Formats: sequence, C-alpha cells, structure tokens
Amino acid sequence: MIAKYAEKLHRDRSVVTGRLGIAAQDDVMLSEGAPDLSRLAADVLSHLSCLGVVAAAPSLPFAEFLLRRAEAESIVPLDTETRTFLHDIPIVRRGKLAGNPAAAIAALLSKRKGVVAEGIGIVASGPVTLEQAYIHYSSVFHACHVKYLLDVLQDGFRLPGEEEAFRAFREERLRPPSAEELAFRPGPIETPEDVLAEVRAVGRYTVERGLVDSFFGNISYRVGDTIYISQTAASLDELAGCVDPVPTDNRSTTGITASSELLAHRRIYEATGARAILHGHPKFAVAMSMLCDVKDCPVKDCWKDCTRVRMLGDTPIVAGEIGAGGLAARVPPVIGGPGKAIVYGHGVFAIGKDGFGEAFRSMVDIENRCQEEYFRRLDTRAGGEKFKPSS
Amino acid sequence: MNRMPRPEHMLVVDLSSGRMRREEIPPEFLRAYLGGRGLGVRLLRGRHTLSPFGPAMPLIFATGPLCGTPAPTSARLSVVSRSPLTGTVYDCSAGGRFAWRLRAAGLFAILVEGKSPRPVVLAVTSSGEELLAADNLWTKGVGETVRALSDRGSVAAIGPAGENAVLFSNIMMGEGNAVGRGGLGAVMGSKNLKAVAVDGDLRTPVADRERFDRARADVMRLFRASPVIFGELGISEYGTPALVDLMRQRRMAPTENFRRTVFEDSSAYSGPAIRAAYGAKKDGCFGCPIQCKKRASDGRSLPEYETVSHFGALNNISDLHTIVRSNNACNDLGMDTISAAATLSAWGEARGRFPSPEEIGPLLSDIAARRGEGDLLAEGSRRVAETLGRPGLSMSVKSLELPAYDPRGAYGMALAYVTSNRGGCHLRAYPISHEILRKPVASDRFSFSGKARMIKIAEDANAAVDSLVACKFAFFGASLEEYAELLAGVTGEDHTPQSMKEIGERVYLTERFYNAENGFTRADDDLPERFFTEAGSSGEGIEVPPIDRARFGAELTKYYRIRGLRDDGSFPDDGFLERQP
Repeated sequence: MIAKYAEKLHRDRSVVTGRLGIAAQDDVMLSEGAPDLSRLAADVLSHLSCLGVVAAAPSLPFAEFLLRRAEAESIVPLDTETRTFLHDIPIVRRGKLAGNPAAAIAALLSKRKGVVAEGIGIVASGPVTLEQAYIHYSSVFHACHVKYLLDVLQDGFRLPGEEEAFRAFREERLRPPSAEELAFRPGPIETPEDVLAEVRAVGRYTVERGLVDSFFGNISYRVGDTIYISQTAASLDELAGCVDPVPTDNRSTTGITASSELLAHRRIYEATGARAILHGHPKFAVAMSMLCDVKDCPVKDCWKDCTRVRMLGDTPIVAGEIGAGGLAARVPPVIGGPGKAIVYGHGVFAIGKDGFGEAFRSMVDIENRCQEEYFRRLDTRAGGEKFKPSS
Repeated sequence: MNRMPRPEHMLVVDLSSGRMRREEIPPEFLRAYLGGRGLGVRLLRGRHTLSPFGPAMPLIFATGPLCGTPAPTSARLSVVSRSPLTGTVYDCSAGGRFAWRLRAAGLFAILVEGKSPRPVVLAVTSSGEELLAADNLWTKGVGETVRALSDRGSVAAIGPAGENAVLFSNIMMGEGNAVGRGGLGAVMGSKNLKAVAVDGDLRTPVADRERFDRARADVMRLFRASPVIFGELGISEYGTPALVDLMRQRRMAPTENFRRTVFEDSSAYSGPAIRAAYGAKKDGCFGCPIQCKKRASDGRSLPEYETVSHFGALNNISDLHTIVRSNNACNDLGMDTISAAATLSAWGEARGRFPSPEEIGPLLSDIAARRGEGDLLAEGSRRVAETLGRPGLSMSVKSLELPAYDPRGAYGMALAYVTSNRGGCHLRAYPISHEILRKPVASDRFSFSGKARMIKIAEDANAAVDSLVACKFAFFGASLEEYAELLAGVTGEDHTPQSMKEIGERVYLTERFYNAENGFTRADDDLPERFFTEAGSSGEGIEVPPIDRARFGAELTKYYRIRGLRDDGSFPDDGFLERQP
C-alpha cells in the first residue's frame, strides 16, 4: 500500500521526486521513502491514533509561500472542497519545529487533516486508511495551489524568489491539458458492459490529464431509465467495481453509495437530454470562478448564496454547495445550451449528447481558456489593474 | 428560560428507601469520561461484578455535554448497567426528547439503585423529583404508559417484557426510540421502576457561541455533502431501510438464520416499498436535522433496517405488513426487535420450520408474558439453542444476537463483532461505514489487512461519540474534528479528535476490564462456527466464502497487541483501573 501511494504521488507530480516519506501502522510501524521524511512521518504517526501519515516536499513551492505570506497561524483557502472537508490548513513555522518537530506537527494534525510545515512541506494524516493520508496530502496541495493563484493575482509577489518560482511554474512545469491521443467511444452506448468500460476509461483520462485534485470528481452515463454513476469517494482512475447503476425512478436505494452529486446528475439529465456527464476540479477553472468584479455586493457567502449567472467566455458560472446544498438546483438550468458550466470555487460540469468525448473536450477547453484568462489578467495586473477574489 | 447550574449534577435515587438527592458530578469524571457511556461506565466502577438483577446494581441514565445545545444529533443519552442477556457491562444510546428534557430539568444524569417495594414512576422536573405509585400502570404496554404520563414531559418506560425479565427487553422512549439490545428494560423492571418522566425549562449554556456556530455550520455542510445522510437515496429520505437494497446487492443480508446471505424477496420491505405502502413521513430526535426515523401517515412508527431484515429475511418472511406489525408489537411490549427476531429464527431452524407470518404476533406476546414456549424464547437465542441441544444455531457473540450485516461479507465487521464489549453489535466500531458505505473512505470488505487497527481506532472514536452523546449517523458526514470544535464551543475548553479518541480508549478498556473481571476471555471473542465453515450466497460476480479461521485469529491477536493486551486478550496486569481517573 505504501508503494502504491508513493507511486501515485509521484505520478500526479505533487511531490518533489524522492522527497517523500510515508508511514503506516498496524501492529507494527512501517515507513518508507526519504530517510528524514519517512522518519518524520513515523514519529508524527506515533503521536496519533491514525493509520497513516504522508510527509513530503510538494513539487510546487506555493504552500511554503502561503505560509510565509500568512499573518495568521493557518491558511484559509476559499474553494468549496477546502471549506467543506478541510476547513483550514494549520501552519507550523520553523521556530516551532526546533527540538521535536514531530510533536509540533502532530499537535496540529490532532485537529486538522493536513498541515504545512515551514521548510518541510505538507504533512497529512489518514485516520481510517493510508489512502486517506494520500487524499489529504493531495487536497492540501490542490487547495494551496488554487489559493496561491488567487493571492498572486490579488497581491502580486511579496517574497524573494516568488516571481522566479512562479515563472518557472508557468514556463516549465505547466502542461495545458488536452484530449489528444485519447480514444472515446462514439455514442450512444447501449450495453451496461460498454458503459462501464467507457466510464472506467474516461475516469482514468480525467485523472491522467490533471483535471481533478487527487482523484476526486464524478462521472455518469445514462441508458434508458438507469444512470451509471461513480460511487462516492471513488478514485476516478480505479473505477472497476465502483460504479452504481441507479434507476431514475428511485425504485431501489442501491445508489445510496453513489456520488454526492447524484441529484445534480439526475437533474442535468432531466433538463438536457444528455447521456454523459463529467465533473472535475481543474485548478485554473476553480480559481477563475472565484473572481468577481462586482463591488459592494450584499452577498457575503458568494460560494453558496450568489444567485447570479456570471459568464466566463461562453461558460456560465453558478454558485452552490456540494450535494444537497444547492448545486443541483443551479447547474441544470444553465448547462443545456453551452454543454458546460463552472460551479463557484468547486469545478466544472460538462455534458455529452451521446458520448464522453464532447464532455471531456469541453472540460479541457474550459481549463485552457481559464488558464489563458488567468495569465492575461496577471499580465494586466502587472500593468496596474487589480481583480479581487470574492469571499 | 433559566440558565443551567454549573457544575453538572446527577440525581441519585435509592428505590429501596425512596430517598433521592442531587449531587455534583466530580468535574474530573467529566473531563476524563465526557458523559453518556463514559460517565456511566465510570459510575459503575466497584459495582460492575454485581448481578444485573441485584438491587445494588445501578441503572444510569447519562446525557452528554452537547445535549441541550443546537449541536446536531446530540439530544441523546446513554443508559448504562450490566446486561442480564450478555453478562457484560452494557450501554445503549437513545434519542427522542427525553435526554433534552432531562438536561432542561437541571440534570446531567440519573443513577437509580435499589428496588422499590411496589411499582413506581420517577417524575423529575427542574424544581424537584418524586416517586409516584404505578400499580395501575404495571402490566400495561409502553404506549398506554406513555399516554398516561404525557402531562409529565418526556417518558422512558418499560413494557410487560421488562416487567417479566425478558432478557432482551428494552427501555422505550415515548417518542418510539429504544434503549435496546441488552435487556436493560429487565434491569429497570427488577427495580419495580415502570417509567421515568422528565421535564424542565433550563437552558444549556454555550461558552463560546462564535466557535460553536462555526463548528455547527461545518457539520451541516458535511451533512449536505454526504449521500448517505442527505442524498436522495439516503437515510433522511428513506430511513435506515435504505440499506435493504444495498445489502441485497452486496450479498450480505442474513437470511434464514444466516444460512444464506441473499433473500430474493427483500424488495418487499425496502425503503421505497415502505414509503409506497405507508406514506412514510420524516421524523426524528429533538433538533436533529437528519430526521431518519419514519412514521406512517397514521402516526405509527415504522421499522428500522435491522428490524425489517431480521423479521424479513432472517425468518423467511416477505410480508411487509407482518414486519411492521411485529415492530409495533415489540415497541409496545418493550422488546428488542433484533434479538426477538433472531431468537425466533434460531428456534425456527432448530425445530425445522421458521415461524409463519401468522405465528409471529402470538409468539411475541408469549415471549413478553413468558407464557408457554415464550418462557424459553425470552431467554434469548443462546440459551434457547443450548436448551434444544443445538448450541451452534445461536447466531450471537457473547449471547447478543448479531444484527443484519453478515460477517462473511465484511471482514472488519466480523472482527468488530467479537471485540465489541457488549457482544455482537454493529455499532461499536461500525466498519459498515467504510466497508460498505464508503465513509469517510472505502476499505476492502473482503480483506483483513489493516482491519485490526481500523477497528481499534473506530471503537475508541465511537466510545467518545457515545460519551458526547452524539448519533453515529452524524459520522457518515462529519468527523470528530468538527464535534471536538462543537464541544470546545460548549465548554470553552480545547478538545481535539486525538484527545477524544484517548478518552474513548479509556472507556473501551475500562469496559473490557470489567468484562474480564466477570470472567470473559479470548474464548468469548469468537463468531459462531457457521461463519467459518459455511459459505454465504455467492453470485452476480461476488464470492462469499466462509471466513478463514486462521486469518481471523491472526488479526484478532494483532488487535490485542495494538490494544496493549496479551495475546490471549487479557490485561498485562491487574492495576488498570487504579491508574484511571
């Protein structure tokens, strides 16, 4: 299991190669990776009632920059995933790491799922499984990425080395996602076997092309009166056995384990007649959806209470909480025409009339357009104009 | 409204003498054990080896620190004593309105001891307490008892089963919630205490309102993001019978006394079927946003998952109306539905025929009255099977009948059944959460890998949850992270998930120590042999083989080591209790 998640973290490019330590405990403590980080992970884990800990240097310095830019003792990203599942990300500064760094980190991990430790990186715990530690690491990495994009756009570079690091990110690391060389079945897809095979393939594409944080997102396909939808907490790149067939008339509750966005998928199908839906969390789309230039707006919790339909190019942006909280009401009315929509601070929904190719290419297109628009605004900002992230 | 007095108080009632006093709960008890299950277990110390039916055995009703606040799912209490069914220390958490009103009466807990010379009702308000003669209520059903006391607030009552020492008799809350499984209704009945009624108008203070409100908003956001809680197929919509179809699909629905694991007719009592047949409406505990209980359009309480599955598949019955009537009968007689149905099923297999739908109702009445064959059935499945010379037919652990999750379909559940301190219960570690419902993450249900530590951690966490007292269903969405913040908001003192798990570990080990002093050993931490020798119902691409006994034993040994116990499950020394607050 340790090897599996080490490989995943390297494959999704969220850790510096070789700067990763993972510890897991059953009746004995196991740890692997870089000696200093695996020792740290094991020491931290020895303080906690948890299954596993990941300690790694993130492949981007954004978390470290956020820590050093922060005045408070935590980083507070405003994207919806973080608001919902992490709440905030505690930081531990170098001064508090002297002596017994594991104890200092464990004290914060006893309250939250992941922390940023100055000069070390991200340390995350898994209370129930080692996979959770991987997820929490990845979630912190993603949250810091999105927040840093927004903070730089808002406040510019403040620290020595920031501008150079960001330029390297932009020019050397950034790989615009694409749908090239991917094979999609032409729709409509009629048999359950073919649907499941295509859902598994497209789920894997979504992770491999970087359109999600860790592996989260959801995917579905409708055949007649059945929606085949990925299960909650399912890894989109490992969907074998993790797709629920859900009858549209609710005559069975087998789909209680389906994605928390089942209701949104159902409503989208009802409103649009589409057959395929893909939902991911591409970072630039998440970041750009949180920029609003309305001044003196009375809405405070924009992410859930904003009722406006904003446009980013030809893509509508709406607000709404995950699950039963409102997203399912606001996305269906706007997604039919353009075939795509962004949920404020959350991610992209894209639909296909018959197959997933259309949906996947829409998501790729949105992310690339958001990336272009982000850098256009950043370059404009360098010329003096500011855009303020809404709350 | 008036503010709650601090520190916290409990009412100590000596039924033998009729004396009652309110006394302060030592603050160190609350710090070390929180409340609910933990406090009850601590208060039981020194009397944990007494007979469950001995007058000196306490029966403890304990709320938790969140009760009386708007903390979601926290209007609950635990009832703690020693079980006459299992012989173990026993607690059960229950909702409704009773706990909230008990707190509003200015009390954190009630400890009842002694035995009244005649049937009585304990009536408590914020201005005092009294014992009322209850001769007129003795022999009455729960419904009639509750109605008779309706002007005295919320009621916890026993029915005829508790009066007649049925070993799986419940204490029933007036709202239909049960203090179930282990026969604490019989403990109450042995004290001649027919009911407790509570009412009051005091308010539980919140020390840091801003922190509390922030944590509450976090919890609610997580509830809304949880498909199990607020999903359109989740428990808020369909109640726990939402699990019927899932357990059928996973091929782990105990059928015909666990001889099979698929019941072809289970859709007859699924969540959608119950909604269609009874117009099920949402209902629930005081202030709970989930509202997982369901009532028929005529007001009848509708059954939970365990009840429909055990009166259904386990007894080979597909008639929904029989199942609903059985549920209502058990509630009114004051009997646990799981143990009642499982005992009938074991008896049915032993005699070569499961009870017919027409036989069920009269049999339940006979059990509650200890009449005819009911007298034996009132002893629970282990004693029934032993008496009939077929001990292997009792599908129980430590004499507690297993609920409706077949352990061959979830290996963490298999391990958790045997490590549970109150016997074969699904709620101690609740691995169904990750093995089946994928919350907070999914684990491989057909693997023992890592399960020993997962179960240990979950047992500790859930002991803390039972001490708060919060509902387990909340943790299909939220976690101790948010509930620690709620607790910090209420008390003004810092708490963390880690500190709460450490409290839970203390509670768990204390219970295990009590059980050890009552003679329980590793030999009692075992599943019925059927699960190691007979396969479940494989099919549809899912293999359900027998559990590998050697692998099971190895994981159990691993579990003991993680717990700091010897490989035989015993404590390394006799001084554990002395080291605890």
